[in-house]
Amino acid sequence: MAALRTASRLVAPTRSALRSSFAARSYATVTENSAFDTSASRPPVSPSKTSTVQEPKPDKDAKIKTFHIYRWNPDEPTSKPRMQSYTLDLNKTGPMMLDALIRIKNEVDPTLTFRRSCREGICGSCAMNIDGVNTLACLCKIPTDTAKESRIYPLPHTYVVKDLVPDLTHFYKQYKSIKPFLQRDTKSPDGKEFRQSPADRKKLDGLYECILCACCSTSCPSYWWNSEEYLGPAILLQSYRWLADSRDERKAERKEALDNSMSLYRCHTILNCSRTCPKGLNPAKAIAEIKKSLSFA
Amino acid sequence: MAAASRASLLRQTQFLASSPTRLFSSTTQPLRLLRTTPSISSRLLLAPKWSAVSRAAPFSTTSQRNLLPPGPQVIEGTVNDPAAVPKVDPLHGSYHWTFERLLSVGLIPLTIAPFAAGSVNPALDAALIFSLIVHSHMGFQSMITDYIPRHKFPTMRKAFSWLLNVATVVVAIGFYEFETNDVGVTEAIKRIWHAGENDATIGKTDLSSLGHDGKLKNLK
Repeated sequence: MAALRTASRLVAPTRSALRSSFAARSYATVTENSAFDTSASRPPVSPSKTSTVQEPKPDKDAKIKTFHIYRWNPDEPTSKPRMQSYTLDLNKTGPMMLDALIRIKNEVDPTLTFRRSCREGICGSCAMNIDGVNTLACLCKIPTDTAKESRIYPLPHTYVVKDLVPDLTHFYKQYKSIKPFLQRDTKSPDGKEFRQSPADRKKLDGLYECILCACCSTSCPSYWWNSEEYLGPAILLQSYRWLADSRDERKAERKEALDNSMSLYRCHTILNCSRTCPKGLNPAKAIAEIKKSLSFA
Repeated sequence: MAAASRASLLRQTQFLASSPTRLFSSTTQPLRLLRTTPSISSRLLLAPKWSAVSRAAPFSTTSQRNLLPPGPQVIEGTVNDPAAVPKVDPLHGSYHWTFERLLSVGLIPLTIAPFAAGSVNPALDAALIFSLIVHSHMGFQSMITDYIPRHKFPTMRKAFSWLLNVATVVVAIGFYEFETNDVGVTEAIKRIWHAGENDATIGKTDLSSLGHDGKLKNLK
């Protein structure tokens, strides 16, 4: 046995010389006389022989800010929603509200629930009501004034799934009802893609950037009272995005779908939508354009 | 670095292992409790509160406003079905909106004209009143549409719509009486505007001696 092993060791260098480098593989080896005992059944080292890990000492120039966060747990349906307070040192926290939320979830309270994904304002997951304004947590800077306490709620007038997570099912169903896709009956003349002039493309600027975060819709009082029937600013902006598209050929049908008392005309130009939009879009203008095109065209 | 991360891990595991009530509390809360309220006083404060709650209804200084309470969430169809698109109804949609705007724009000259012209024309007066009534009727109608949704309160919606119709008719009759048996709206506003000019206490003064506020200039 031992002889065989020595023989193989002698052969090994020649083998590696013969084989190309990419085909060479290393194998796990078991050393017989290991100095380390790796079994898990050993008794632990007593605490007197180990060092003590202490609570990190609070910083002298720590900027402690208090965050009051809306909490509700569906597992306890009888208990009321409540505001939970957390304190964070802003020196150890990132600049945005989402950083604070993630830090609370990681280090303080793992039960805190919220949606987040891209952390740069392109997915629309972290829409919530921060200090009374619907916005994206990832685009909202934490006010550095530590005397003021921040309050974070889920989007107003939504059914809450848990903590800061609203149920947007109906919002998405409404989005689906406006048929948010290109509808054409004729083929393009050369069988290639449907082309658009730069001027026509420019009409979609300020519309295509919408990420459907629902900040505007949930800030609209009309949508609060009539969300079942009124489409709300976000969906109407999307509707106008397809009405304004020069390539779409079902404009008449799209307009007909809006021509009733509830879908479009519950908008009373309150303009909360344009004020709150975290992407700086203007849903109110889009709605006004739809109203104009329905009236005078 | 490794020590720090392990410390935070340790803290989390201790945290999870503790009682379920601790699970939701932040690390700051126990500290605050220790700082502010001793346990005895809090118990003393709590005891009568609980008994009061169990015996009587909660006390509140303002009336309980439970207008349009949110019902349970209802999803019609499956999650993947689009929301229902209402029937085409331009009479309550685009025509309604256009008429509303035209009426609002038309009211501006109608309001200014009789005062600018300085004459009281009964036809102009009638036009002003008619458009005013229709304008306010439509305004109230849209309030009812906003705040009494048909799918939630069908009976209430009907009742309020009819109440509005009756009110509008009553107001229209009132204005008709005022126009035919009295001086009419424009003349009434004119008289109210110049009220006090014929007042005995101010005396027989001409308009030039009146200040911008309608009072005598040299009155102290």
